[in-house]
Amino acid sequence: MQYHYKIKYVTHNTYENPVNNALWQFLIEPKNNDSQFLETSIFNDSYNTLVNKSINGYGFNTFKVTPKHQITDIIFEAEFSLIKNNIEIQSQDSKTYKKDIEELNSDPFKIEYHSFLKDTVLTTLPSDKKNIFLFDDKKTTFENLKALNKWVFIFLYYTIGATNIRTELKDLIDYNKGVAKDFTHLFCAVARQHNIPTRYVSGFLNQDQSYFGNSEIHSWVECYIPNIGWVGFDPTNNMLADFNHIKIAHGKDYNDCASLKGIIFTVGKNTTKYTVKVTCQEYIQDKLASLNHISAYKKAL
Amino acid sequence: MESKKILPIFSSYKTNPVFYDEIFKNDKEIRDTYGELFKLFNEYKVDDFKLLNEKAKLSFLNQGITFQVYDKTTVEKVFPFDLFPKIITADEWDHIESGALQRSKALNLFLYDVYHKKQIIKDGIVPIELISSSENYLDQMNGLEPPGGIYNHISGTDVIKHSDGEYYVLEDNIRCPSGVSYVVSNRVALKRAMFGVFNNYPTCPVANYSENLLEIMQSVKPAGVDIPTCVVITPGIYNSAYYEHSFLAKSMGIELVEGRDLFIEKDFVYMKTIYGPVKIDVIYRRIDDAFIDPLEFNPDSVLGVPGLFAAYKKGNVTLVNAPGTGVADDKAIYTYMPQIIKYYLNEEPILNNVHTYHCSRPKELAYVLDNIDKLVVKPVDESGGYGISIGNKLTKEEIEKVKAVIKENPRKYIAQPIMALSTHATFIDEKQCFEPRHVDLRTFTLLGKDKEFVLKGGLTRVALKEGNLIVNSSQGGGSKDTWVLKR
Amino acid sequence: MLARVANNLFWMGRYLERTEHIARYLNVNYFSSFDAPNETSQSRQFVLNSIVRMVDDDPEKETVLFEKKVLFDAALNDEKIFSIKSYFRMARDNASSARDMISTELYESINKLHHYINNYSIEYFTERGLDEFTTYVSKAVSQIKANIVTTMMHDDTYAIIHLGINLERATDVIRIIDTKYKDALSVQNETDFATSYEWTILLKCIQSFDMMKRHYKKAPTSKNTLDFLILNPECPKSVMSCLNNAKCQIDYLNKNHHSLSSAFLIGKLRAKYHYKRINEIEIGFDKFIQEIISELDEICISIEDELFKH
Repeated sequence: MQYHYKIKYVTHNTYENPVNNALWQFLIEPKNNDSQFLETSIFNDSYNTLVNKSINGYGFNTFKVTPKHQITDIIFEAEFSLIKNNIEIQSQDSKTYKKDIEELNSDPFKIEYHSFLKDTVLTTLPSDKKNIFLFDDKKTTFENLKALNKWVFIFLYYTIGATNIRTELKDLIDYNKGVAKDFTHLFCAVARQHNIPTRYVSGFLNQDQSYFGNSEIHSWVECYIPNIGWVGFDPTNNMLADFNHIKIAHGKDYNDCASLKGIIFTVGKNTTKYTVKVTCQEYIQDKLASLNHISAYKKAL
Repeated sequence: MESKKILPIFSSYKTNPVFYDEIFKNDKEIRDTYGELFKLFNEYKVDDFKLLNEKAKLSFLNQGITFQVYDKTTVEKVFPFDLFPKIITADEWDHIESGALQRSKALNLFLYDVYHKKQIIKDGIVPIELISSSENYLDQMNGLEPPGGIYNHISGTDVIKHSDGEYYVLEDNIRCPSGVSYVVSNRVALKRAMFGVFNNYPTCPVANYSENLLEIMQSVKPAGVDIPTCVVITPGIYNSAYYEHSFLAKSMGIELVEGRDLFIEKDFVYMKTIYGPVKIDVIYRRIDDAFIDPLEFNPDSVLGVPGLFAAYKKGNVTLVNAPGTGVADDKAIYTYMPQIIKYYLNEEPILNNVHTYHCSRPKELAYVLDNIDKLVVKPVDESGGYGISIGNKLTKEEIEKVKAVIKENPRKYIAQPIMALSTHATFIDEKQCFEPRHVDLRTFTLLGKDKEFVLKGGLTRVALKEGNLIVNSSQGGGSKDTWVLKR
Repeated sequence: MLARVANNLFWMGRYLERTEHIARYLNVNYFSSFDAPNETSQSRQFVLNSIVRMVDDDPEKETVLFEKKVLFDAALNDEKIFSIKSYFRMARDNASSARDMISTELYESINKLHHYINNYSIEYFTERGLDEFTTYVSKAVSQIKANIVTTMMHDDTYAIIHLGINLERATDVIRIIDTKYKDALSVQNETDFATSYEWTILLKCIQSFDMMKRHYKKAPTSKNTLDFLILNPECPKSVMSCLNNAKCQIDYLNKNHHSLSSAFLIGKLRAKYHYKRINEIEIGFDKFIQEIISELDEICISIEDELFKH
């Protein structure tokens, strides 16, 4: 099955005092991969600045904006249209965690995936909570991760405003309230604790279903499972990442994937309001053409 | 050569048999290299030295050859300069030079490897933990191809002469090694003060460092650039090493820029000039990794240029040294240097490594804890002589404290036997005479695309406090001119 | 050249020039007053008042001025932005920021004076050091400026520094003229305004007394002094001469720009005073002062916009 998405992202920034020489970086463009193909991508701001298409340190596409004017008020708008395939996971290929441990602990494996095995400030479990969730040796790695997904979903209450972008796990575990990025960080920490390479993923979420986090830029994880490959888990909604999840970028934690970074020299208050609108319809017309798109893209890689 | 009459200014010079003294074989006999110098010094009286010493100091102050220290307010200080030069014979120098070059090349290959295939880890030569737990390893550098394949364009290798008369490497500095401006200004000062002495020794020049550095920078220009525009970037006039930054820019004849002078458009870097934007191709950055780009690294940095890393990643600008080199001058990597050299170059290490105990290894940790009084304990990731404890200088209580600190985070510490840094004749102001003081030597090695250069000379650093083994300027050290003799 | 560095060089030039003028003004105004022919001109309060009005844009209204305080404030007080020490510190900071662009000799001479000023004993200064200090400073600044001329390429770096020096000199000369003009007015019941001793002091403050005597072969009067200091293009300190020099320097920079409006503004101002008579200035002196100050300001703002911001 294929789906056709239209995504509209609008940010409205206001500043108490005029801003000169500001720079904003948006990491919001869906990436192309096996399951998604970006058809069109438009980015504009209310000053009609020349937008620079660039990349971040990990090679994901960004938009950079540096208006030449003095600014107190600016609106950024992005529109994407995209074709998404459903994602099928060959879960029967997963072995028991106990059997996988040997591979997970092997040097070549640890070397290959070392970036997604190490703790960051935002994904470090406090020393007395290292065993907060334990894997079952007899279940497959995939089942263990699904159990972890469910555990995180139950352990944390989805609450807006309880945490901020610098909240560390020691505080999160105490409050057990947070938003998608907090669910994601906790999942990352526990999975990495079990030597599963795990990356933080940012993206858009289908709004037709009433998922948690669908009014914002969402986040979930991707785990590398031996014999299967990278699999997406969405602990905020206790589900696997599927055609509802449109990936933008991945990294070690939120800091690598922040959708908006601004370098602004000003004093006084500023506000950022943003809205995301995601609409989805099943893709029927000219199905073949779109498949050709994707295979053409794959060839280009 | 034997000097019958020891000068009055050397009358209280007492060598200690524990250390190698570079001037005296024993209390009476002078080493051959220094014989001529000694004879010439005979013509100076104590007052002459005092006067020359003061003149040199004043000249440094007036020229603004200073560094700044923060003690509530900023204080400008002259890096203390000693008039008695360190002399290195041509043979001895060949050994140091080839050793420093060998290490720099091996480190460069190591850096390429850890940011690409990581073969050295796969082959089990160094453990994965050295990169996975290093704060200086930058994931963003993975897979990036720096022009010419060069990461550590500039390396500073610190060597000492141990009591066995052999040179040992204490550490490799491949982030932003500093001090080269003092090598050049010390030479200028010494030539002026003691031209009668200087011209008796056929000494290699040091002023050619800058032209070589510029050639190195030009050699690693981005693809597609004909004549690269090179600049030096500084944190600004209040940085402690600002003099050096301005010296480098001036002596290369290129612009000294600050972050605010640069901007990025379409992933190219431009500087703002009075005639409009000018594209920049190679940046010698004297700003630490964390501060070069607030979009990618420390978001609070105002010193860097937002978007610089993306421009670098796209190959539109070259950064000298490359970001992420810090992973290889970690003191934990140092201990693997003999193996690293063998692995990449298939050569035996030319310069000795000091034996190192890793506190991360249980057996070695036990040895360290039992023998703290005989060891120097260092944190693996700090520079500038901070956080160092020297065992034989500690009281019993201090030893217990150090033990506790190590046990808390063993991975953070390494220990080495206390190296007996050689002593060298140093004029002591308060005593109006020469006394032996401990010295080390920082050499400067440059690597470019198909080009390499080792500065014939270096910064001889001297610990001015009696018995002190730490020579860093931030810890009250001074420096000497270093003469490498021609053949 | 980097826009920021050009800004640094421009202000280095301005602060150097300003330091020199204040140092000389303090010295000449203070010491010349001792043997002034009329009583008020000799009075300490009169002299101190003249100093305060010259250096401080916004002097506090004090009825009695204390000599030690006034002199300390003008010379060595860190906390007063108009002191010689503060201005020179800014000159040196600007030089440091542009250090790779200026000659070693120039930086060394600036740095040396910086250490001299910083190490000068405040106690000694207020007791006996006024002459020694101010003479040393004004001579040292002349030496620094000589280093600019002899140890640096006469290129755009040089043009920017001299643009700063000349625009500052024009501004300082006008300030000094304004101060002394008002001094002359305030003693006109004791001595004739046109032939007041204050004109001699004015000329000496601007190092132009000998030149003026040679040119006019007459005692200074209000008319010939003002004519000499404002309109005479051959007097190197005159406003006219400063504008002529500034025009050369901006034209040099304009070679690569072609359309600097600051070049236009300087040219326009220069033409205006080229065809000006001293009578016209004398009639509306206050208006003249206000006008030329705002015209010079406009030029500086336009230079800043066009050259230092990119």
